[in-house]
Amino acid sequence: MIDFQLTSTDENVLSSAHEQAIIGRRYARYYDKHEDELEPAEFPEAKDLPNPVTLAEEGLSGSSGSRILHSLVMLEIYWGGISLHRSKWGLGNTVLKTVATPEQFEKWKNHTIAIAITEPGAGSDPASIRTTATFDRETGEWILNGEKIFISQAQSGDAAMVLSRFIAPDGSRGMTTFLVEKGTPGFTVGPQLKKLGIRSHDTCNLLFENCRIPEFNHIKGDFKSTMSVFNDSRPMVGAMALGVARAALDFTREKLGERGIEIGYRGGMRSRSAIVDRFIRLEAIYEAALLTVLRSKWLEQQDVPPKVEASIAKAAGGKAARRITQGCIDLLGPEALSEDHPLDRCFRDGRIFDIYEGAGEIQRLIIARSILGYTGRDLR
Amino acid sequence: MISFELTQEQKLAQSMVQELASSQLRPAARSADDREAMPSSILDEIWATGIIQSQSDADGYSPTLNALLLEELAVADASFAIAAAAPIGFLGAIAAQGSSAQKKNLLPIFAGDKYRCAGVAIMEPDFAFDVSAIRSTAIKKRDGYLLSGMKGLIPLAGSCSHFLVVARCGDTLDAFIVERNARGVSVGEKKPNIGLRALEMATVSFKDVELPASARLGESAGCDVQRIIDSARTALSAIMTGTARAVMEFVMPYTKERVVHGDALAKKQTIAFRLADMRIETDAMRWMTWKAASILEQGGDATRQAQLAYTYCTENAMWIADEGVQMLGGHGYLRDNPVEMWYRDTRTVSVLEGAVGV
Ligand SMILES: Cc1cc2nc3c(=O)[nH]c(=O)nc-3n(C[C@H](O)[C@H](O)[C@H](O)COP(=O)(O)OP(=O)(O)OC[C@H]3O[C@@H](n4cnc5c(N)ncnc54)[C@H](O)[C@@H]3O)c2cc1C
Repeated sequence: MIDFQLTSTDENVLSSAHEQAIIGRRYARYYDKHEDELEPAEFPEAKDLPNPVTLAEEGLSGSSGSRILHSLVMLEIYWGGISLHRSKWGLGNTVLKTVATPEQFEKWKNHTIAIAITEPGAGSDPASIRTTATFDRETGEWILNGEKIFISQAQSGDAAMVLSRFIAPDGSRGMTTFLVEKGTPGFTVGPQLKKLGIRSHDTCNLLFENCRIPEFNHIKGDFKSTMSVFNDSRPMVGAMALGVARAALDFTREKLGERGIEIGYRGGMRSRSAIVDRFIRLEAIYEAALLTVLRSKWLEQQDVPPKVEASIAKAAGGKAARRITQGCIDLLGPEALSEDHPLDRCFRDGRIFDIYEGAGEIQRLIIARSILGYTGRDLR
Repeated sequence: MISFELTQEQKLAQSMVQELASSQLRPAARSADDREAMPSSILDEIWATGIIQSQSDADGYSPTLNALLLEELAVADASFAIAAAAPIGFLGAIAAQGSSAQKKNLLPIFAGDKYRCAGVAIMEPDFAFDVSAIRSTAIKKRDGYLLSGMKGLIPLAGSCSHFLVVARCGDTLDAFIVERNARGVSVGEKKPNIGLRALEMATVSFKDVELPASARLGESAGCDVQRIIDSARTALSAIMTGTARAVMEFVMPYTKERVVHGDALAKKQTIAFRLADMRIETDAMRWMTWKAASILEQGGDATRQAQLAYTYCTENAMWIADEGVQMLGGHGYLRDNPVEMWYRDTRTVSVLEGAVGV
């Protein structure tokens, strides 16, 4: 039955997530200012508080489902800007989980594994990566050379799942993944990158110079299986975008209210001020995007792997965060620019979601190909 | 519990209406627009589905189902969808908010086997009209009310047997059940508008109409007029979703077939990306509508959600209809293709308030 009400279990988990987000928010400015500093794996306040992500993933009975709840928890966390519990899961872990042998999985299951795909010459088009591994017959090792850029969890993670070209001993070529552990000779992690926003988000470049990797670390994900990790994560990025967007909307509503401007929903557009009208339009964008996220997550729960819906959720969330964080500053005017308030951070943080994990244009390519029955060759 | 699951019954009703929409309604849409008249055979086909009468049945009343079905009807034609949504709005308001006497007197009249219309009269023929500034008045008299005002854009006004008139009564808004034959009620000539031309919309004037106390919706308890407005906004959202889908489903095959500069138009990114955006927005419009409808169904306060759905749909439906014309170029401007009609219809639906319900 069509229903959009949260269950009481959902509400409990989300209110705990929200309380933690309120604490996290207090640190948001600090880490915005100290971008070279990594957040602690766990903040002192978090000691006695359950990790809401874990609660959601446990698939509590009486919830709207673990996928839906997880996305809503992420939304709350991004509302605050800083998670009290650092995530131990990286997208490299998803590759490990889906393609590794049981022995490989056993060895690294408790590691945090970054995903390293992007290169200076290959972002939206990962098929054009240049990083290459050749096989050394004498030692039975792979020798990896190349550069990966903009890699999340580069410093905090324990290893990176690197998408690379390979030239096998028999001369065959292709793409594959290697798990490269921190400390492997020839593997260096660069300094934290200086970004517009999400400055607490650990992001560095990686360099591989004749980096020798044991055959056991060859995880054997191919191009397709590596890219498919984004199917789950795309709607999640949509949810994260909406966390930032809602923080902006909440702040704007509160401040407008203090100035005596209440957002009323009863009348029509000709009865309200331009400010109220604009607010309602922004809020509608938020609601609409959120429902596309929930739709995609709900499909996952029905065992219908969403494809176009995952891209819809990512594209809608990414666009919503841009429009809403920009628009809220119009509504509150020049005072909203100040670092005394959260909007400047929302504005900068909110810009990432339509870029990473496949920019808005890439989502639109995926959607258009799917609805038009086109291949990557037909429409690129 | 968050769920997008349709019940078996909803799926059946949806596919039945889909079938009717594509086989009977869509083929009749263009000539109805040209002739500025609603074919009675179409009304009877819609009536035969039972979606209008089901409002009368306590177990059958379902805004969510209505929203689903109105979208399907609107994929065929927005005028036809409103011809269903107008009496649904009227009957739904009586069923949800009428006194037991009002239900007993009125609902059976709408249980026959021929289409019957009744209208929710909210809009007024006045520039800058807004639902929060209604000028029609009902003055409380000793044993009833004296109703005066003008109501515009009433679908199929000439064939309505009743109107549910929203008027200002003292400080608040109230709704009154007015018979078409009551003294002082006069239905104007049907006036063609930009779009929805088949809908035979007209202005109705109410001049010192004397109403018994029993005409007030809910009688002594009164009613929640906002709920009628919320329901209308939700219905309009469903209809706009349907029209947007009609445009999208038409331009996708068209742009794939149309060759320009040596290749299919749809292979150009500027077209393909706009098609992708049409898909994103029609999905979002639908979920917004469902959410508002499901809150109404559960008896909750749907005002915020209905406003957000309506505002979102008005903006995006218009954008989609506009792009639909653009993607066909000159062919889109000619009346040989349906996109110009959808462009006019969407401009019309997306400025309406009231008139319909889920
Ligand atoms: C903070 C941050 C964290 C990141 N984390 C990771 C990570 O953990 N792992 C990882 O591998 N990468 C990561 N990235 C990289 C990110 O995924 C890429 O930046 C992104 O995919 C875009 O690639 P690009 O920067 O090379 O832009 P480009 O590919 O050069 O794209 C530039 C613009 O062109 C558009 N465009 C590209 N192709 C097309 C096309 N065919 N049609 C139309 N428009 C097109 C894009 O949408 C974009 O707007 C991260 C980036 C940032 C900023």
